[in-house]
Amino acid sequence: MTPSHPLYDAMISGDAEAARCVTVRTLAEGVAPLSLVNDYMIPAMEDAGKRFAAGEYFVPDLLIRARAMKTAMAILRPLLVAAQIKSAGRVVLGTVNGDVHDIGKNLVGAMLEGCGFEVVDLGVNVSPEKFIAAINERNPHIVGMSALLTSTMYSMKTTIDAMVQAGVRDKVKVLIGGAPVTRQFAQEIGADGSSNNAVGAVAVAKMAMGLQIESTAGVYWRTA
Amino acid sequence: MTDPVQNETVSDRNSRLYDERLRRYVTAMRNGKPDRIPMRPFVAEFAAKYAGYTCQEVTHDYEKAFAAARKCAADFDWDAVVGNMVYVWTGLTQAIGLKYYGVPGIDVPPDTGFQYHEPSEENAFMQPDDYDALIADPTAFLFNVWLPRVSSDVAPIGSPATYRNNLSFLKGGMAMWNYFMGFGRQVDLLRTESGTVHAISGILKAPMDILADKLRGYVGLCMDLHERPEKVRKACEALAPHLLHVALSGADPQKNVPITIWMHRGCVPFVSYKHFNEIYWPTLKPIVLEIWRRGHQTLFYAEGKWGAHLDAFAELPDGSIIYHVDQDDVFEVHKKIGHKFAISGGIPNVLLSFGKPKEIREYCKKVIDSVARDGGYIMDASAIMQNDMSVENMRAWTEFTHEYGVY
Repeated sequence: MTPSHPLYDAMISGDAEAARCVTVRTLAEGVAPLSLVNDYMIPAMEDAGKRFAAGEYFVPDLLIRARAMKTAMAILRPLLVAAQIKSAGRVVLGTVNGDVHDIGKNLVGAMLEGCGFEVVDLGVNVSPEKFIAAINERNPHIVGMSALLTSTMYSMKTTIDAMVQAGVRDKVKVLIGGAPVTRQFAQEIGADGSSNNAVGAVAVAKMAMGLQIESTAGVYWRTA
Repeated sequence: MTDPVQNETVSDRNSRLYDERLRRYVTAMRNGKPDRIPMRPFVAEFAAKYAGYTCQEVTHDYEKAFAAARKCAADFDWDAVVGNMVYVWTGLTQAIGLKYYGVPGIDVPPDTGFQYHEPSEENAFMQPDDYDALIADPTAFLFNVWLPRVSSDVAPIGSPATYRNNLSFLKGGMAMWNYFMGFGRQVDLLRTESGTVHAISGILKAPMDILADKLRGYVGLCMDLHERPEKVRKACEALAPHLLHVALSGADPQKNVPITIWMHRGCVPFVSYKHFNEIYWPTLKPIVLEIWRRGHQTLFYAEGKWGAHLDAFAELPDGSIIYHVDQDDVFEVHKKIGHKFAISGGIPNVLLSFGKPKEIREYCKKVIDSVARDGGYIMDASAIMQNDMSVENMRAWTEFTHEYGVY
């Protein structure tokens, strides 16, 4: 059932200013921050994801909803942290060494955040050492790596190999994505999962956390 | 009787090869059936790797890039190549302090190809309230507002003229002159040294791609499509005549090789069907029609997936474009528009980089048997080939195409 709430409506219409106003007002009325996230924001982002998967929505539709979500989340996150509310999982995200493309990675980050994950974004051109340092410092459940080029995607393998060397590979699930990434490539380099789009990235992250998902379209998840 | 081919000089041989290759390539592009399938690999950083250079070397020194392209052309017996598909020269970008390139050895590792830096939405080179100025006078906007934003040297209008500002125009002009004039010599050297055709001449971008790539950024454009679509449309209309002019001013005077349009943001899923139908295509189609009216073909280098828009492209006159397949299904594309236009590409880069020669031969056989059966096909990879390509695979691919691609 579609939730009926101005926050949900603001998210669906991608109205960032309305999302901010409604969030402030609703919090003032005493509604719990987590309820806003779980009851309106996550359903709105999941709805956008479903429509994208169905070919009804395009990347701009996701981006404008993500912007509204981020505006509301900027207000809610400190409250959730203060209340020690756990996220669906912590994801360290970055575009790999040698690659400076970030539109796909940013969209994945926004979709994950909108679906209840905590995202630590390391940016672009991220060295294996930086990924390893982030694993040690931030203790994530998932490391997500992105690459746009066939000439840079092997940095994903270099990074996984470095994680093995550093003894941190088994602490995390490694998910990869980007235009040239295939299921076969993910298998070859020892990633746990991959997706070829931002909505599939959320699905595979949920699989990594042992959560239920509705569709595995465009998703690879290794079987033990 | 003496076989004339046996006794010919190197110069005669190259001249003969050039004529054969040009005929083969042009016939295929006009959707005809030549003697065999022409090969036109867009080799960029692969050429550097093959010639023993790093990405940094060929980006910093265009003479090395030119030499690498010529070495590939001479060794592989390809019909047509681009003089320098790496195309960015650090000398030029640094002469005017351009901010939007990630240069090997400076911004990215020395053996990674150059890339574009897209600024964050807040730092886009054009802001939402700049639309009216761009629409009113694109040239004035680009010179007065945009250039100082994309350059670390050019001083904004109204601020004191600095030494670096003054020098940037001198250096930039000289660098551009040197580099672009070098292409004329390169075209000639390709012809005389190895009888290879320069594959393309003249550059076009769709107005909406320019808006996304160099002005608003893709994310900014997405917000604009939601919040001010009318301004986006008007900006595209204002840019169109300028883009047509740029395309025609670099076109092949012989009208043999095509102007190339590098298309990316109009495809699925980057913009909706509505925005493609209402903005992207209506502001691009008239440019392509005018180019055709002037006697030039346009090579649609359709990066990504454009299968949903093939019906729109089919509105163009027969033979006016060559459709290059990146992530589309090359067999479907052929079924849908192969009767109207020649097709190039469709051989996945991942296959050429990491596949086995046997897999490459199998895949190419399928493409040749189906898509190229009646001519109208130019062999190429799906995307520009970088230094991840295997030399062994490139040889296997070339040999198979030469052997199996004979009509």
